[in-house]
Amino acid sequence: MTSLSSKNGAGMIEFRGVNKWFGQLNVLRDITLSVEPREVVVVCGPSGSGKSTLIRCINGLETIRDGDLTVDGQRLGDPATNMTRLRTEIGFVFQSFNLYPHKTALENVTLAPIHVRKIPRTEAEKAGRELLAKVGLADKVDAYPAQLSGGQQQRVAIARCLGMRPKIMLFDEPTSALDPEMISEVLDVMVAVAEEGMTMMVVTHEMGFARKVAQRVVFMDAGAIVESGTPDEFFSNPKTDRSRAFLSKILRH
Amino acid sequence: MLENFSFRTIVEYLPLFGQGLVTTVWLSVLSFAGALAVGIVLAAMNLQRGRLFRVPAKAYIDAVRATPLLAQLYFLYFGLPRLGFVLPELIVGILALSLNSGAYVAEIIRAGILSIPRGQVEAGVASGMTYVQRMRLVILPQAFKVTIPPLLGQAIVLVKDSALLSLISVAELTRAGQLLASDRFMPAEGFITIAAFYLLLYYGLKGLAALSGRWLGLAGART
Repeated sequence: MTSLSSKNGAGMIEFRGVNKWFGQLNVLRDITLSVEPREVVVVCGPSGSGKSTLIRCINGLETIRDGDLTVDGQRLGDPATNMTRLRTEIGFVFQSFNLYPHKTALENVTLAPIHVRKIPRTEAEKAGRELLAKVGLADKVDAYPAQLSGGQQQRVAIARCLGMRPKIMLFDEPTSALDPEMISEVLDVMVAVAEEGMTMMVVTHEMGFARKVAQRVVFMDAGAIVESGTPDEFFSNPKTDRSRAFLSKILRH
Repeated sequence: MLENFSFRTIVEYLPLFGQGLVTTVWLSVLSFAGALAVGIVLAAMNLQRGRLFRVPAKAYIDAVRATPLLAQLYFLYFGLPRLGFVLPELIVGILALSLNSGAYVAEIIRAGILSIPRGQVEAGVASGMTYVQRMRLVILPQAFKVTIPPLLGQAIVLVKDSALLSLISVAELTRAGQLLASDRFMPAEGFITIAAFYLLLYYGLKGLAALSGRWLGLAGART
């Protein structure tokens, strides 16, 4: 988290006129968005609005059709961009955790650092134990994912990303698959990561989290960014009918 | 009825059956090793996106699965020499079993790899692993566990299929039964004895399957 290279004032993540189709469906429509280093951006919107697709494009899990997407100064789709290399700088937390079931919590955290980053095993294990302690799982280093609750698995998944010392962390509905009582333990970890100055994009409907750490909330509908503003602006004074309707649904209870 | 059944002759022929059993075991082991090699290559070809490798692999697997093993064996034994390749019958036998079983093994391996959830691939991709790293560290170790039980099932089939090699005069277990049947006109004694030995082999492999199942159950169960 030292080199926050921001060339020519460009953001850490820069979408410029990005479009994407799934067959006939225009899943991303003319997306223009810039995320600054150390900024935390929450992306929300109704199901199928393209939120997940948006962040999956950033590490190349999805490819874009046209427009420009630049991450950490490197243009995606450019032959000069080493995608595998770039991905080591981007942590991705999945809704369904996707921990490696045949590896222990510690092995999950150290696998990529050892084999991709080429960090010596002892060093990676030391760092891995520290990270697991940081997410409150010091006593679970040797547990297999199947022996952990959903909340614990997701915390291991976050530690797994942090083990790569990424510049950017992306979260794809990290708490949607969790039982209610486990959500806060994961959000607490995410708040701690945000407070350390990580550049983050978080797809979530956890508005408490957005208020607490996000500098900006982006609201998407039908593949387009409909509204974008600070959490306070967005929650107290939504500008569009679509965002008002959305907020009335998720904030009712 | 049983007064005609000669246990004494069976005992007399036991050394012959013993030799046949040993031959069946080691040629099955070699053939299964060959089948694994053929299967791994075919499965890898079949999983490629490009047609260059996928189409020949699929064609081979279909051809093997659509034709009788006996026809394949006869082609290799009688057909190949006419084309200029003369091989000892034992080699022909092992080759036939390897090539035949390899097609089935390929499908078992492919199914095992495809059974690993997409999210596992994505987790590997997202952490910057290359294709080879993903396969080696994430996909294959998990697929391996899923494929062990069906692979042992295929091994059982292979052991029974090896009986066909008696037809090209490989001195394996079934051949021993045939000899007793034809030398002494005692087909009941000959074939019931080999049946007992095959049953023995079957239970051996089944025990191995159970053991491996227990071993695999220890670690890495998926939620």
